[in-house]
Amino acid sequence: MILKDKINSGQFIVCGEIGPPQSCDGDVIRKKAQYFRGIADAVNITDNQTAIARLSSIASAKILLEEGVEPIIQMTCRDRNRLAIQSDLLGAAALGVRNVLCLTGDYQTFGDNPEAKGVFDLDSTQLIATVAKLNSGYLLSGREMKKAPEFLIGAAANPFAVPFEMRLIRLCKKIRAGAHFIQTQPVFDPELFRNWMERVVEMGLHEKVAILAGVMPVKSVNTLLRMRADVPGVKINDEYIQRMEKATDPQAEGVKIAVEIIQTVKNLKGIRGVHIMPFLWESIMPTIVKESDLRN
Amino acid sequence: MESDFVTYDKPPISYRERRFSRFLLFFEDLIKVPIFRCQHCGECILSSTGFVCSQRCPKRLRNGPCGGTRADGHCEVYPERWCIWYKIYMRSKFWGRIKLLYKINRIHNWNLERTSAWLNVFKKRNDAPVLFVCNDKEAEKLDDFKRQD
Repeated sequence: MILKDKINSGQFIVCGEIGPPQSCDGDVIRKKAQYFRGIADAVNITDNQTAIARLSSIASAKILLEEGVEPIIQMTCRDRNRLAIQSDLLGAAALGVRNVLCLTGDYQTFGDNPEAKGVFDLDSTQLIATVAKLNSGYLLSGREMKKAPEFLIGAAANPFAVPFEMRLIRLCKKIRAGAHFIQTQPVFDPELFRNWMERVVEMGLHEKVAILAGVMPVKSVNTLLRMRADVPGVKINDEYIQRMEKATDPQAEGVKIAVEIIQTVKNLKGIRGVHIMPFLWESIMPTIVKESDLRN
Repeated sequence: MESDFVTYDKPPISYRERRFSRFLLFFEDLIKVPIFRCQHCGECILSSTGFVCSQRCPKRLRNGPCGGTRADGHCEVYPERWCIWYKIYMRSKFWGRIKLLYKINRIHNWNLERTSAWLNVFKKRNDAPVLFVCNDKEAEKLDDFKRQD
């Protein structure tokens, strides 16, 4: 069963995330894929995450398909103009990729090539609309295609950044542009997330898209502190930082926190799944899924 | 078609017209540059962004903030600057123009870069500005994001 059918059938979705290596070593992807096979319904593949040049997400997706894991390619607007976006999407569809997550992309000065030119020809909402248009059988120029791709369109949402109302407006826009599922930023503040979800349910948006809550297991307190300092738009409760500091076994504590967050968000109204982002720690994925009883 | 707001515009404008457009742009700049710090995108969306130019965003986003707005409302790229979409939201709230933020702005037509936005409205290359938002009916019309011509 592909991700589209799983979302339509209403079952609880578990997504993972793989960061491709900064080399041409495809075996890294193959090795990481084994942590997700049979555990995650689909796996995101980041597209030059944090503006650092990595193995292409579409090439990694092909490797994952060979390994029997369903990929979700991330597509950012930072590196491509509308021509490249269309050709990459068609190429991905030809290789058998069925899911795409549309993002604006981190600004180039965050990465290791800060002197690069950012493209930003489209923004994420327009990218979603572009994929929707390709799905309907037309290219952006209006030319009809003989064979249309069938992408499941994903989008991102950040419930933790100000201004909060604008986030909901943007979510509405993305849904109207044609998004099928939403992945949120990692939850480190369940209370704020609950408030956001209540607003989403109030507006009836949870019926139009499948909302997958982001969860990020962390290895050490340093990761949390670095995220708080360097990644804007992420909100981390002091409680978690204190717990990680005090813990004798930070890795076990990190898993415990992730499982706790999963169990909190799982029971919220309107949540259709979780998106687990084990950043540089893919091997922990089976443990987390097992401990939080996501796969009965 | 549902997603019509991504379609391309009319063919490139002629040299003659572009020259005329640049002439008009001089007068437009006298107002738009000091007040809005116009970036000359040629497809003015000021009226749907609370009269704050969204093109001052480093990513030139036309449809809302990226996920990186800092907790104090500052930009992720330049921490000393305000996030322009934070300002847009505050200003829209102040003027009672929140409903206009729901409008999806189409893909930017780079042919119109450095041309007069006023001429482009007159020639129906982009949407007419919504100057007054009086009631919900006005906002309902925005749902129809098809081109006017």
